[in-house]
Amino acid sequence: MMRFLPRMRWLGALGALLLVLCGLAQAARAHEATMAVLTLREIAPGRFIGQWTMPPTDPTLQPIFPPHCRWEAPELICGERGLVGRLSFMGLGSKQSVATIRVLPHDGPMEAYTVSAAKPFATAARNPGTDLVVWRELAETYVNLGIDHILRGIDHLLFVLGLIWLVRGGWKLVKTITAFTVGHSLSLAAATFGWVGVPERPLNAAIALSIVFVGVEIVKLQRGEEGLTARYPWTVAFAFGLLHGLGFASALTSLGIPQATLPIALLFFNVGVEIGQLMFVMVVLALLWAHRQAQALLPRWGAAIPAYVIGSVASFWFLTRI
Amino acid sequence: MRRAARLLALAAALALTPGVAEAHLVDTRLGDFYSGALHPLTDLQQVLPWIALAVLAAFQGAARARWVVLAFPLALLAGAMAEMVLQLPTEAPILGLVLVAAMGLAVAAAARLPLPALIALAVVAGLLHGAQNAATMGPATDRLLFISGMIASGYAVVTLGIGAAIAFLRGGTWRPIALRAGGSWVAAVGIMVLGLQMMTRAAAG
Amino acid sequence: MMTRIAPFSRLTLALALCAIPLAPALAHTGSGVQEGVLSGFLHPLLGPDHLVAMVAVGLWGAQLGNPAIWVLPITFPLVMAVGGLLGISGIDIPFVEPLIAISGIALGMMVALNVRPPLWAAAILVGVFAVFHGYAHGQELPEAADAVAYAVGFVVATGMLHLLGILIGVLVRWEAGAAAVRACGAAIGCVGFYFLLGAVGIIA
Repeated sequence: MMRFLPRMRWLGALGALLLVLCGLAQAARAHEATMAVLTLREIAPGRFIGQWTMPPTDPTLQPIFPPHCRWEAPELICGERGLVGRLSFMGLGSKQSVATIRVLPHDGPMEAYTVSAAKPFATAARNPGTDLVVWRELAETYVNLGIDHILRGIDHLLFVLGLIWLVRGGWKLVKTITAFTVGHSLSLAAATFGWVGVPERPLNAAIALSIVFVGVEIVKLQRGEEGLTARYPWTVAFAFGLLHGLGFASALTSLGIPQATLPIALLFFNVGVEIGQLMFVMVVLALLWAHRQAQALLPRWGAAIPAYVIGSVASFWFLTRI
Repeated sequence: MRRAARLLALAAALALTPGVAEAHLVDTRLGDFYSGALHPLTDLQQVLPWIALAVLAAFQGAARARWVVLAFPLALLAGAMAEMVLQLPTEAPILGLVLVAAMGLAVAAAARLPLPALIALAVVAGLLHGAQNAATMGPATDRLLFISGMIASGYAVVTLGIGAAIAFLRGGTWRPIALRAGGSWVAAVGIMVLGLQMMTRAAAG
Repeated sequence: MMTRIAPFSRLTLALALCAIPLAPALAHTGSGVQEGVLSGFLHPLLGPDHLVAMVAVGLWGAQLGNPAIWVLPITFPLVMAVGGLLGISGIDIPFVEPLIAISGIALGMMVALNVRPPLWAAAILVGVFAVFHGYAHGQELPEAADAVAYAVGFVVATGMLHLLGILIGVLVRWEAGAAAVRACGAAIGCVGFYFLLGAVGIIA
């Protein structure tokens, strides 16, 4: 099976690359009839008056504000920290699938936060300026989201695992991982600001293909052939980093971040992704070290098994995502 | 002095680890894989014998220890699967504490075990803990993810423990003694809590 | 990220509490592993008679040198566990506190006078203390929310106190250090004497 894949891989990768270059616009957000809109008007710093500009069909629907805010309808008191943090709705379900909170600050443009069953919360934020508390809050939220995203993203982790396997360790590994990091940071930024956009399905398929590629390269290396990655590790890592960054971006944009805080959110999200990735690399390297200490290494006949497992899993993903 | 500092750091890490692990369980945002991986780590009745098993294996030398790297995760898997068809026996907590005490004593004595005995110990611990962890899954838990998370953390803890202990033992004569003292502490915990468990059971009739 | 920092601030709190060892034992047998470990950890540190006697055990082990220095840390927890079982079972042993104070005095004197008995004699003296020490803690165990965590906490604290004693004891390699170790022993004996007077009701 693996022998046929390399050719398929190039076709798929080429297709995905074309799509990236075309910069297809993202699919328009679907509108639903059962929309509810709560408008919050700031009457004094940290004090809001709420009003349903589009009342919910389900009367039990209730907004959930960050813990430091006190909601006594129709008044919302958030104190000097202001309305920052997680916004959500209780009772979102089949009757009422989408709800929006519109915030009219007394000194700034309106922000809208939409919550749906598929995206159960939105994060309210304001331009932090010099307010350290807001900075810390933003950092905490987005760094955690970044860590969360990379650690849940088994496809990204498998790719990094493949890179570690291929490059083995030392300075070369540091350079390769850095190249991957630079690559995905660039494309994450580009996609978050809307400079490029890629439909999700082909993107995911292309990411799956990148893992198949690494699997093939490992097998090649074990047979004594010098593959592309072995010769130009950081170039390959950079190129695929670009691809994986687009994948991170789709996770970030689905959160619905207000424009005012987008660059900061992006920065912290990326920091979170790097922390998570570093944690993973450290655990893998520690385990490899432990295996060497215990001389618990795979026998020669089984050395190729992990590469085949990585390759097969990724091929399966590719087929299901195409 | 540097050794002393390292020992102190080790002790501090030991003291802090459960706290760190528990803090994570509070938000199981990383999905069932991570709740499966973190569940045994928050339970000292599992982590202590895992580390003791790793140190005990390291005392037997690398050639024997590496079998535990293979046997223990497989036993965890078997235990978790068995739990799906069989009921967890009511003696499971007692058996768990007996394991804590036995493994601690074996480490304290730096016992030389024949390979089958070492593997058997790893398998019994794996079967028991696999079943105990699997029994905590709720109806909404993704079984595959939870069990793979649990096996991953069992494998990681035991492998890292064996590797670290083997590397640590390559050094001064005080090093095996430090590990044996640690085993003795584990045994003391096991014996006392086992006694408590027996006592409360007897009181409950 | 905050969750990682919390244990450190707790440790700071724990250390701050250690600085006032005469405070009453905090009966916060809270729920959860963290609380269990912490309350177990603090327990031996908050009873100054236990604390000094345990340091004395480490000091004496270091003073006696091989093989006591390594027999001690391995066997002490096990003997202590036996005492712990007695405490858990609720068997009433009279005069626990005076005996702990007396063993503190005895251990302090041994260190101060640099007494070198045969290993078995030293083992018996340390063993008696270990049993009573374990007994006092074992009595607390059934009240702990998480017994394992509590046991781990106090066993770790005990081990660290030994380690502290052994580390101070390393000073015996130098002449002035040996004198300092003996002075520590004398001080421990005095603390033990103070608590003996307290335990038998001579002083409040």
